[in-house]
Amino acid sequence: MTAGSQALVSVVSLTKIFNDRQRGREEIRAVDAVSFEAHAGEIFGLLGVNGAGKTTTLRLLATMLKPTSGEASVCGHSISKEPQAVRRRIGFMSTATSLYGRLSAKEMVTYFGRLNGMSREAIEQRILELFDLFGMNEFRDRRCDKLSTGMKQKVSIVRTVLHDPEVMIFDEPTVGLDVLTSRTIVDFVKDCRTRGKCVLFSTHIMEEMEKLCDRVGVIHDGKLLACEPVEALKSRTPSGRVEDAFVKLVGEPA
Amino acid sequence: MRLGAMFTARLRRNPMTRAVLSKFARGAQILAVSSTVFCKELVDVLRDRRTLIFMLVIPTVAIPVLMWVTSELMTHFMEKLAREQVDVLVLNPEAAPELVEEVKKRANPLGRARRVAELLKAKGVGESELAMTKGEPRAFLRLLEKKGIDPEELATELRVAVEDSDFKLEPGAIIQNAFPPNFRLVTELDPRDYDHPAEREQVLLEAVRTDEIAAAIEFADDALEKLASGDSTEIRVYYLDASDRSSTALSGLRRIFKSLGKQMVAERLLSKELPAGFANPVKVRPERLPGPGMLVKFLSQILPYMILIFAFMGAMYPAIDLGAGEKERGTLETLLVAPVSRLSIVLGKFGVILVAALVSAVLATISLSVSLYLGIFSTISLVSGGSFSFSIQEALVALLMIVPISGIFAALLLALSIFAKSFKEGQSYASPLQMVIIMPAFVSFVPGVKLDWLMASIPVVNVSLALKEIFTGNLDQHWAHVGVIFLSTSIFAGLLLWFATWWFQREQVLFRS
Ligand SMILES: Nc1ncnc2c1ncn2[C@@H]1O[C@H](COP(=O)(O)OP(=O)(O)OP(=O)(O)O)[C@@H](O)[C@H]1O
Ligand SMILES: [Mg+2]
Repeated sequence: MTAGSQALVSVVSLTKIFNDRQRGREEIRAVDAVSFEAHAGEIFGLLGVNGAGKTTTLRLLATMLKPTSGEASVCGHSISKEPQAVRRRIGFMSTATSLYGRLSAKEMVTYFGRLNGMSREAIEQRILELFDLFGMNEFRDRRCDKLSTGMKQKVSIVRTVLHDPEVMIFDEPTVGLDVLTSRTIVDFVKDCRTRGKCVLFSTHIMEEMEKLCDRVGVIHDGKLLACEPVEALKSRTPSGRVEDAFVKLVGEPA
Repeated sequence: MRLGAMFTARLRRNPMTRAVLSKFARGAQILAVSSTVFCKELVDVLRDRRTLIFMLVIPTVAIPVLMWVTSELMTHFMEKLAREQVDVLVLNPEAAPELVEEVKKRANPLGRARRVAELLKAKGVGESELAMTKGEPRAFLRLLEKKGIDPEELATELRVAVEDSDFKLEPGAIIQNAFPPNFRLVTELDPRDYDHPAEREQVLLEAVRTDEIAAAIEFADDALEKLASGDSTEIRVYYLDASDRSSTALSGLRRIFKSLGKQMVAERLLSKELPAGFANPVKVRPERLPGPGMLVKFLSQILPYMILIFAFMGAMYPAIDLGAGEKERGTLETLLVAPVSRLSIVLGKFGVILVAALVSAVLATISLSVSLYLGIFSTISLVSGGSFSFSIQEALVALLMIVPISGIFAALLLALSIFAKSFKEGQSYASPLQMVIIMPAFVSFVPGVKLDWLMASIPVVNVSLALKEIFTGNLDQHWAHVGVIFLSTSIFAGLLLWFATWWFQREQVLFRS
């Protein structure tokens, strides 16, 4: 957020067009010339309604999708030219990143440690540390499909941070969770900022964004309508409420 | 020492060797990652009950159980058919009353049959076992051998038992006496008019189809005159091909008239004082060579088919689980954000599916061979007989044939499965593919199809035939074919694996909307 801190994520007119065959080859510009930067030690929020293009943007950054045009880099690595290097530096968590139900919590985490190129000792060390931190020792050997939603979330968090990535990407991580469970996640996201990570966080819940984010990008129909600190967004309307600012930006629904 | 160090240092600086070295390192890294993926997927799949059932339980248990049940059912119904009494209609008894009497005498010699059956039972040969060997003298001999009964001795005892010194030593005769055609001759159907030839066929057909009668016989009007003058006469037997009961009646009638004819010839020869062999100057006596027997033939037909089916079935569930299952359970994205190449993921998954296919195919082979070896299928072991054995070399070459074709199955199934969005969708793609694979594999059952260069060029068919030749013991004549099939199938599997990897990079496949 301060001018001095380096931009770990920089996005330059990133565009993704889907050709939807079922709907008569109509083009969907899911992400349309989006540009922004996110820095170490800040939480950057992506705010948008359903279908605005949040997930697609974050998937592009996680190199799961290839951009139609434009470019982005994570820790200096280009998402289109060095996708593996990019993935090594991010921790990605969304509603669509489930756990392998037939593996135990520990096996699950170990597997992803191995895929991230960590040594067995390093993984063991991290697991000791993190399972203690999140109070997960009681169910470390239980199969993931036997865990409660809250426990699953904790395993997912550990899976995401095990290799200590510099950039964390969260795509609506609190959707469908109860107050306590989403609290765990919100606390964890804040903790990431404290430890100097660069956090990207998408949501359509205004309060959540207000509580967490330092800067926010409002995305609608694939276009980034605003990209500014939360305070600046609030001051766009006399009421000073984020919701009003958002509605004003995207225009009243027809 | 220093020279060596300098040399390696220079070698390392050489751009060519550096390129090769980095390629090599990359390859090694991909292999290391894919082995991590392999181990995890193997554990994952082995914890799934569905896969375990398809990979381990069905190949081991299903074959013996299925074959045992069929064989027991067959034994049961064959025996029933052999014992059952059926009605045979005589259309014109007045034309040859003497022949009718002869047929009656032979059609139901139950007293004799009971005595033969009882004697055999006392020697440990059950009726059902005996029924199995009906019409198959060699099988009967093997049965006696199995029970430790000397055929000559048995024949002597039987002669005493049935009070007939003419009783033949041939095993066929023993069986025929134990299972005589069991007919009741009837001379009338219901008061229906069947005089008109066209109507008559309809009436007879109706009667056979409703099991009122099993067959009908009709004598020529001049039958007795012809026989008296030393000529021959024709006896018409009306029967229905599609009815088991009717065809059994036909063969029973054949036997009866054959033995009647033999007796007449003997009488005629006697009256002319000619030797007994006069009417039978040449006889054929089959001498079986000690080569592959019927059991080997049976196995070499059924095994290739079974192996291919079970390789496919064993691969199917893990494949669907590892591709479509990831999408259905929402773990695909978790996996895709891991910093590994798509190639390593595909290789690891492919490896597990391949192993499942091989395990399933090998288990099916072992299970079938062991069941046959232990002789748990009475039908097959009695009718086929002989023994079988594979050398280590044959087993290894057979395995080498199975590996690349399983690779083809694994790559195809994985590609389909990655495309599918759910388990169900995956299954709906795999089932038609299974049909396409199983049809050509069936070629091992087609008699007379030999492995030649044309056949060797057709996928699946070539492997099926190669396995057939290997199991028949003809490997030494087919090394060239086997080698070429192995190579071409491997190349084909490699191409499909390459396709699956490319397929796994496509957004349209991974993120279908
Ligand atoms: N794989 C795909 N193929 C075709 N169209 C897609 C694909 N993925 C997303 N889209 C389309 O792109 C647009 C943006 O979708 P996206 O999932 O990025 O929205 P979102 O902001 O994450 O919405 P939500 O709040 O519902 O998660 C939508 O219109 C969607 O239908
Ligand atoms: Mg979304």
